Amino acid sequence: MTAQLTPPGPAAVPEAMLPRPFRVLSKTHETDDTVTLELASDDAAPLEFSPGQFTMLYCFGIGEVPISISGDPHHPATLTHTVRAVGAVTEAIARLQAGDYVGIRGPYGSGWPVDRAQGRDLVLVGGGIGLAPLRPAVLDVLRRREEFGSVSLVYGARTPADLLYADELHSWRSRFDFQVEVTVDRSEGGWLGDVGVVTGLLPRVDHDPAGTVAMLCGPEIMMKVVATQLVNRGVTGSDIYLSLERNMKCAIGLCGHCQFGPDFVCWAGPVLPFERVEARLRVPEL
Amino acid sequence: MNLESLRRDSELLRSLDEAQVAFLESVSEETNVVAGETLFEEGGQADRFYVVSVGKVALEMTSPGRAPMVIQTLGPGELVGVSWLFPPHRWNWRARAVVDTKLARFDAAEVRRRCEEDAGLRSALLAVVAEEVVGRLHRARIQLLDLYRSGS
Repeated sequence: MTAQLTPPGPAAVPEAMLPRPFRVLSKTHETDDTVTLELASDDAAPLEFSPGQFTMLYCFGIGEVPISISGDPHHPATLTHTVRAVGAVTEAIARLQAGDYVGIRGPYGSGWPVDRAQGRDLVLVGGGIGLAPLRPAVLDVLRRREEFGSVSLVYGARTPADLLYADELHSWRSRFDFQVEVTVDRSEGGWLGDVGVVTGLLPRVDHDPAGTVAMLCGPEIMMKVVATQLVNRGVTGSDIYLSLERNMKCAIGLCGHCQFGPDFVCWAGPVLPFERVEARLRVPEL
Repeated sequence: MNLESLRRDSELLRSLDEAQVAFLESVSEETNVVAGETLFEEGGQADRFYVVSVGKVALEMTSPGRAPMVIQTLGPGELVGVSWLFPPHRWNWRARAVVDTKLARFDAAEVRRRCEEDAGLRSALLAVVAEEVVGRLHRARIQLLDLYRSGS
């Protein structure tokens, strides 16, 4: 007697793992290696998100990467991503043109605790591409500026040519209710702004340390140094939030690729309080 | 020069007592430089130092055939020049105003002379300048890491 072999049916795909097709509406070159894409789904369903959240962006046939949302949370009909071309997938994303399609899963992860800063001073510190995940928080706060105390942004980039959102930075700097300090690591002339690391600008920021919420995004060493300096200035570790980046795959807290000590960054993070991760930021094995 | 208003922003001046600030006032004068003007040149005699009141100063290294390389800019309240306190009293960098800048200029030779007689002033200045130098060293080390480099 022989067993009857039947082909298996299609595997059930959890909805959270199913990308939605989004069309590229426009592409803006921010720097030599960084583009901002505006995307929309064909069904025009808005993708509601909180500042600081990310999506899994799938470039068909190439791969999928986690990218923080950099657009305005009050305009969810358009999904905005700023992507730096540093690997096969992000290079392919950077080559996309208007009309091309990508797959989107999400949004995922914890966002910036913007409401926690209501009635208090808010200090945002970004480094390099790290300004992109902070941009939705900036746009949200500026839309309801009166709900916050002093609001400041300190932004550092490698060179003047590497500054993201240059026009927007100029616009933000022109406001009387928003302190914006910008610095670059190196300059060889023509730049009238500051040169040096972001920590050098923190003493200029007008805020009450005891009543401050800080949000940091950039290279982890930068965030660690900035957070430590903020603590030294009197900001509480539990009021300092960092956006961490790890090798996310499933983005729903299952696969463990993004494990960082006891946390899956895609699920518990990417935004986590400094107090919770401070010790881990000194462990090379993590 | 009256240093009272500058004292609020300046770590150097805040760390000194009233008598010490009064002495520094007696050896200081207000100076204004226009954008692009040089405050001191690399290799020159470090016979003065400055605290920025308004504006911005770049510390830069020059090299034939290329634009000056700026390592750091200094803004209001910040000390411009530390080489005046340590032999051989020669500047290691060039200091140039990035924008029109107002500063307090101090006679370093007079300050050094007073330090020989006044151990308290010497100790206070060494402490605050050392702290400033440690801070700049820390920031320079972070700059060396080139954290924003693509792929880092």
